[in-house]
Amino acid sequence: MAKELQEDTCYVALTHDHLDSTSMIDRVRSPKAGAIVLFAGTTRDNFAGKPVKELQYTSYEPRALQTMLAICKSVLEKHGLTSIAMIHRLGVVPIGEESILITVSSPHRQAAWRAGEEALEECKAKVEVWKKEEFGGEEGGVWRANRDGATGVRIDDEKENEPAAGPHGPILRPGRPGERGHGPVVHLNSTERPVT
Amino acid sequence: MSTSAKAPPGHFKILYFGPAENHTSITSENLPAPLSVAKLFSTLEKKYGGIKTNLLESCLVTVNLEYVDIPEDENDEGMVIQEGDEVAIIPPVSSG
Repeated sequence: MAKELQEDTCYVALTHDHLDSTSMIDRVRSPKAGAIVLFAGTTRDNFAGKPVKELQYTSYEPRALQTMLAICKSVLEKHGLTSIAMIHRLGVVPIGEESILITVSSPHRQAAWRAGEEALEECKAKVEVWKKEEFGGEEGGVWRANRDGATGVRIDDEKENEPAAGPHGPILRPGRPGERGHGPVVHLNSTERPVT
Repeated sequence: MSTSAKAPPGHFKILYFGPAENHTSITSENLPAPLSVAKLFSTLEKKYGGIKTNLLESCLVTVNLEYVDIPEDENDEGMVIQEGDEVAIIPPVSSG
C-alpha cells in the first residue's frame, strides 16, 4: 500500500509497488491545463560501466513525504502549475523499471517543462530516500549519495573512488544552502566537468 | 519501517538510515534521555568508534521529524533531546 499525502492540487506518495504512469498523469489532468509533462526515472544496469544487478531504496517515510510535499507546493506556486504529483518506489527495484514518477500540469507547456525538471532536481537533493546498488557476487552493495564527489559507502566499509551518480546521472544544477544532498552538485554547463 | 514503537521511559529512539546502518549494523535503538544534541555525535562515537569522521560529519539530524542544528562545540547550549523523542541520522540522500 502506498503512503501518501495530498494538499490542494499537490500529491506525493511512497510505495513498494510498481509505478503506474497513466494513473499519475490522470492525477494532474485538468480542463484548466494545456500541458502535462511526465518524468519517469528508471534504474540503469551499470554504475560507471560496472554491471548493477538491482537497486534497493529505503526511506524515512514520514519525513520524506513532508519534504516531497514541500517541494511540490513550492514548485507549483513558482511556476503557476495547475497540479503536480510525485511518487517514489521503495524496496527492490529491478533494472529498467521506474523508481520515480513526477507529473505536472499547467496552462501552457513551458512552465510544465521547467517545473518538471526543477521538481526532480529538488527531489534528488532533498528527499530522504537512500539507494543501494547491488553488484552481485561477493562485492556486496554500495550506498550512493546524489551530491558531487560523494563517495559511495561499500557494505564491507571499503572506500570507493568513483564519483557518485544517481540512476539518472549526477545532479545538474548548483547546490543550495541546506539541501539534504549536503554539498555542492555538478554544474552541467560548467567548464569544470567531473571526471566520468 | 521501525518508526512506530516508542522508546521506554527515560530513553529516546534513534534511527539509522541508508549508509548509517553500515556503521551501526542496526536500524534503530534506544538511548538514555535527556541528551543535548551537541553531545549526540560524541555519544555515538563512544559506541561506534570512527563513526563521527566517517559518517556523522556529513549527516544532518532530525528530532521528531524536524531538522535541528548541531553546535560545533559540544559544550554549547543547544536543544535537548527529551524522553520519548524520535531522533534520526540523515546521511546525504540518494533519491531518484
